[in-house]
Amino acid sequence: MGKLILVVEDQEDNRRILRDLLTSSGFEVVEAVNGIEGVRLAEKLIPDLILMDIQLPGIDGYEATRQIKAKANLASIPIIVVTSYALSGDDKKAYDAGCDEYVAKPFSPRKLLAKVRNFLS
Amino acid sequence: MRILDTTGAVKQLIKPHSVSGRFSIAFIGVVTLILFVYAGIAIWIDNSRINKDLEQRLERALHLSTISLPTPLWNLDNHIVDDFIEALFLDESMVFAEVTWGEKVISKRVREEYSQFEFSSLNNPSLFLSTISDILYEGNKVGKIRLSISRETVKREMIKGILQTICLTIFIIVAITITSLVITKKYITAPLLKLQDSASSIATGNLDTFIDKSSHSEIGILAQQFDKMRESLQSLFLEVSEKKSKIEEYSRNLEQKVDQRTHELAQSVDELQALGEVSRVVSSTLDLNKVLTSILHHAVQLSDTKGGTVFEFEESEQVFVPRIYYGLSSAIAKKLERSVLRIGDKTAIGQAGQQKAPVQISDLEIESEYPLPYVLEDGFRALLAVPLMRQDRLIGGLVVMRKYAGNFSDRTVGLLQTFAAQSALTIYNAQLFKQIEEKSSQLELADKHKSEFLANMSHELRTPLNAILGYTELILDEIYGDIPEKIKKPLERLEKNGRHLLNLINDVLDLSKIEAGRLTLSLDDYSLRELVNTVLISVEGLAEEKGIKLSATIDMDLPIGKADQQRIGQVLLNLLGNAIKFTDEGEVGIEVSTTNSAFLVSVLDTGLGLSVEDKQIIFKEFHQVDGSSTRERGGTGLGLSIAKKIVEMHGGTIWADSRSEGGAIFSFSIPICVEQQVES
Repeated sequence: MGKLILVVEDQEDNRRILRDLLTSSGFEVVEAVNGIEGVRLAEKLIPDLILMDIQLPGIDGYEATRQIKAKANLASIPIIVVTSYALSGDDKKAYDAGCDEYVAKPFSPRKLLAKVRNFLS
Repeated sequence: MRILDTTGAVKQLIKPHSVSGRFSIAFIGVVTLILFVYAGIAIWIDNSRINKDLEQRLERALHLSTISLPTPLWNLDNHIVDDFIEALFLDESMVFAEVTWGEKVISKRVREEYSQFEFSSLNNPSLFLSTISDILYEGNKVGKIRLSISRETVKREMIKGILQTICLTIFIIVAITITSLVITKKYITAPLLKLQDSASSIATGNLDTFIDKSSHSEIGILAQQFDKMRESLQSLFLEVSEKKSKIEEYSRNLEQKVDQRTHELAQSVDELQALGEVSRVVSSTLDLNKVLTSILHHAVQLSDTKGGTVFEFEESEQVFVPRIYYGLSSAIAKKLERSVLRIGDKTAIGQAGQQKAPVQISDLEIESEYPLPYVLEDGFRALLAVPLMRQDRLIGGLVVMRKYAGNFSDRTVGLLQTFAAQSALTIYNAQLFKQIEEKSSQLELADKHKSEFLANMSHELRTPLNAILGYTELILDEIYGDIPEKIKKPLERLEKNGRHLLNLINDVLDLSKIEAGRLTLSLDDYSLRELVNTVLISVEGLAEEKGIKLSATIDMDLPIGKADQQRIGQVLLNLLGNAIKFTDEGEVGIEVSTTNSAFLVSVLDTGLGLSVEDKQIIFKEFHQVDGSSTRERGGTGLGLSIAKKIVEMHGGTIWADSRSEGGAIFSFSIPICVEQQVES
């Protein structure tokens, strides 16, 4: 049984790339298409790691990260923010919200995979 | 007191200090002295003559006795002796006579007043002259006679003589004195006094004083000379007073001129102050109403009028619209607002607008064609209107009103023209400013739209690009299964082009953010040494691929600095990346040092180098040394432009130069500690 990774991403192509990348490496992937669903699934499934987009319908990635990190049973789940907000200051905002890692889009699937493995090893 | 009075009177008569007084005193003194000496001598001579006479008389009496008496004595005829003695006493001086015979007194007579005297006492020679003699008859002594004559009588006579002499002397003195005084007074004192009076009168300024020159004496001559002097004084005085009056007139004129000039100057100062005030208002506010109110206020005050209006000219309607009032009642202002003032009307402003020149109405009462009766009703009599022109275009008018009839001076007209020019300029500036403001807000909006559009576009472009690059990488990594060798190369080209597109988009986004002022530096402590090393590691591969040697010279004691580490890293990456890109063989080096509290970073290569033109445009957007090389060498043409902006935001400078040994050198310096972002 591989580790469970929750991908919160509204863009289908990006979701698919992440799914293909991760499943091909032996991870189990659950997908959420918005922030609210992301928080709900995190509570329900308690994944081993979460990949979080920032620009999401409903509540954004920052807010979703805050809500997940605020729950005691979920606080230890590593969250990697994957975002196209790639200007200076954006990373700080993400870390302030409580994320553990920050990756700017467009990301290199190879490098992202290395980071995921790093967290789950 | 009387003595004093007398002395006073004498003093008055003979003024001891006056010339005549002194003369009189001297004259009288000398005469008196001479008279007294003469009198003394006369008395002395008289006295000795009388004494001699007395002695002679006594001698004669005795001689007479010695002749006459012997016979009677001899005959003892005593009567005759008595008679003889009696006869001797006819001489008044004779006071004692005695004829004796032995002890016997034959005859004796003593003058009554001297009866108490004894003969012995008559011996006193100061009072009496006595003699004694024997009387002989044919040689026989027949008696003795004693005779005494009193000097008293003689003395009395002498005193009488002396008194006479004294009286005479005094009389003469008095006579001489009076004569002298009269003469002195008449011929010296009086003319001198007259002359003195004249002199006093002249001294008090009365140069017309009459001077008596009738006398032919020295005083007369003196008077003549004196009169000549008076005349020349008079003519001199006349001349002087003429000159004086001329000078006075000149000085009066001068005073008037000074007054006038002072007045003019004060007016000029007022005007300058007013213009200064207006200029101040013009430059301190863009509120058109405020400026025009200030101008009108000063125009009314300096033109000595009671009220005024600034009109704006509506070109489309060809009418004047009142805009600002000063010193006018609200009633008249309302009426003015309701009136339609067309150009060419018989109003002052209508005429001034038509003639494009100042127009004045000097008396509304006789101006039958004037169409605004309420102006006169409100008490205004004279108007002055000046058009507001801007480059031959009528833009308004300035009107001042006065409550009394009469022409406005040229000065006032000129002054008002100055204010009109100022008003015109203000209105024009305000219009211009409004246009500029509109344009600039339009531009600002357009710029904002542009920036937003760029930011949005970049973001939207990146999303699909992310998918393209992601899938390509996954395919190349054979996530979806093995890929034929034939497809691998095109896929790699696809990825490379995709990355180039991504860089372009990233740079455009950066630049648009910087230009929109929305890029904020996150300033923090950093180690430039570590940063340089990190960047070097990331470009190592690229250099290795091209076979270029990479070297770094970093000062050992580089301090910890403060900056946006990520952005400085971006600059370093850009410069090193460029250097490697444009160098085909040789080496690329980076040198880091500190100078004057700034970091100095230089990136040197052995590439193509830069021309003079290159140096000028290299930091501009979309410029590379050679347009055609953009695609060949990769890069977006925005990197240096962004690097320049980042360095400048840090308060630093960036520059490029050619190296004499070939190749280029790109340098930048930033403060070691950047405390504040510099806004462009």
